[in-house]
Amino acid sequence: MRALLVALMLLVALPAAASELRPFERGSWQDLRQAHAGRPLVVHFWGLTCGPCLVELPRWAALHRERPDLDLVLVAADPIPEDPKWTAETLTKAGLDGVESWSFADRFADRLLYEIDPQWRGELPRTLMIDRAGQVTVISGVADLGRVRAWLDDQAHQTSG
Amino acid sequence: MMHRLSIAASVVCLTVGTAVAQTHEHHHQHGGATARCTEPTLACASVATPFLASDGTLWLTWTAGGQVLVARSHDGGQHFSPAVALDAGPEHIDTGPDARPRIVVDRTGRAFASYAVFKDNAYNATAFVATSSDGGRSFSAPRPLTDDPASQRFETLAVDPDDRLFAAWLDKRDAVAARAKGAAYAGAALAFEWLNGDGKSLAPVRIAQDQTCECCRLAVGFAGPGRPVVLFRNVFEGGVRDHAVMTFADAQTPGPVYRVSVDDWHTDVCPHQGPSLAIAADGTYHAAWYTEGDARQGLFYARSIDGGRSFSTPLPLGAPDHRPTRPYVLAVGDAVWLAWKEFDGEHATVNAQVSHNAGQSWSPAAVVARTDDASDHPLLVSDGRHALLSWLTAREGYRLVPLEDQP
Repeated sequence: MRALLVALMLLVALPAAASELRPFERGSWQDLRQAHAGRPLVVHFWGLTCGPCLVELPRWAALHRERPDLDLVLVAADPIPEDPKWTAETLTKAGLDGVESWSFADRFADRLLYEIDPQWRGELPRTLMIDRAGQVTVISGVADLGRVRAWLDDQAHQTSG
Repeated sequence: MMHRLSIAASVVCLTVGTAVAQTHEHHHQHGGATARCTEPTLACASVATPFLASDGTLWLTWTAGGQVLVARSHDGGQHFSPAVALDAGPEHIDTGPDARPRIVVDRTGRAFASYAVFKDNAYNATAFVATSSDGGRSFSAPRPLTDDPASQRFETLAVDPDDRLFAAWLDKRDAVAARAKGAAYAGAALAFEWLNGDGKSLAPVRIAQDQTCECCRLAVGFAGPGRPVVLFRNVFEGGVRDHAVMTFADAQTPGPVYRVSVDDWHTDVCPHQGPSLAIAADGTYHAAWYTEGDARQGLFYARSIDGGRSFSTPLPLGAPDHRPTRPYVLAVGDAVWLAWKEFDGEHATVNAQVSHNAGQSWSPAAVVARTDDASDHPLLVSDGRHALLSWLTAREGYRLVPLEDQP
């Protein structure tokens, strides 16, 4: 029993090797926004214990394959940080291995949510579409991917125009 | 008639309670920690659920290190008995945002604890119940609430006025059956059963309502012996996730579903934030909930004086610019208490207000506890005379704060 616990802790200590998940902590939202600034960006928040999220994830994988112009970032927003191995396994199963992924890794989830959006009370899934100027369009719930495609088309149009 | 909260008294109790509660625990991850805490201690817990027995004993259950534990306190949470693990662990306990282990104690002193464990990578769970007949010194081997293989989450135990144990949970059996037939099915079913003193089913599991929201805690009260009242987030026509209340006609007969409020939240989102229900001695139903509907957004309270058939106009709770969350309502004596959490970007507070006229008017909201780190949902408990706030916070530990109001 004790050996099991130690083994579990060792696993937990090596999240980067297991999954390439980036830990989402205080300030990560600013980092993420800055790293993608000036380009249209779609950030999709999901959670391991959120049934609709798990159903939706493979659709994002399909859209990511379909649209090379989609700059997609995934954030697993489980307020009680989950073992990264579960998060990584779920992303792999959904076909999202190659997509930039973060996972809530700060127990102070209230503050993480607040940094992203002071009005957000943690419901999932949630998608933010952020244009070049930093204007944010929020989709609460399972995203209508037709709406995302139209938004991407609009962004491309704005470039050429 | 307004009543002012006595904040000073609460803060004194808070200081005493939290200082001692932390002494025997390690200091883990002060500040914005990144590592996961893996010890089965209260200090590593993210949620803790209380039960105040009629003899004044505080029972507390929590999840930490992949185990579920129970401990008792005879001094309001300042000191705890050695914790008893319900399971051998570590296992993948459901620690989703609105999930928590629970414990109830009947009038003979028999304790019943429940929790759910994920059993696959689709996040289906099995809900377990364990019982103790020796005052919490030991618990029976946990048994599944049902042998149905689908999934059970958000299990809730409640002891009715005749000391009978009622269990309700969100069950996926009908969702699985629908999918097998290629039929659409939203969410999960509200299931229930009655249990004997060993936690065994007294009658087959029944489904009280199909297609309810699968992501939110349930709230259970009693309209009388054998007459549970369940408040839950339903999925109404068109995928509207508004709240509904159901009062059982008798122990095996779920009553009609009445809508608490037309918030009009058209969504397939997981709100991860279920309702709270209190039924006062005068029979008034008091409901508190969260919505992001087209009609209203935020936390709300409403009351029903006709057994849940109709509810008063929803009353907004909390400061909108402080992101109020996690409402809880409790009735004790002639008092009705409301509590919720607010957050201003750095500090989390629990705010409370009280009514002495069955929810028709309320004292101003006042801060009864605060923290500047991670915190569990605020929960209210009663010893039959007083209302107390139960709150686990990462930095301060566990606290049980008497809520005192001055007439």
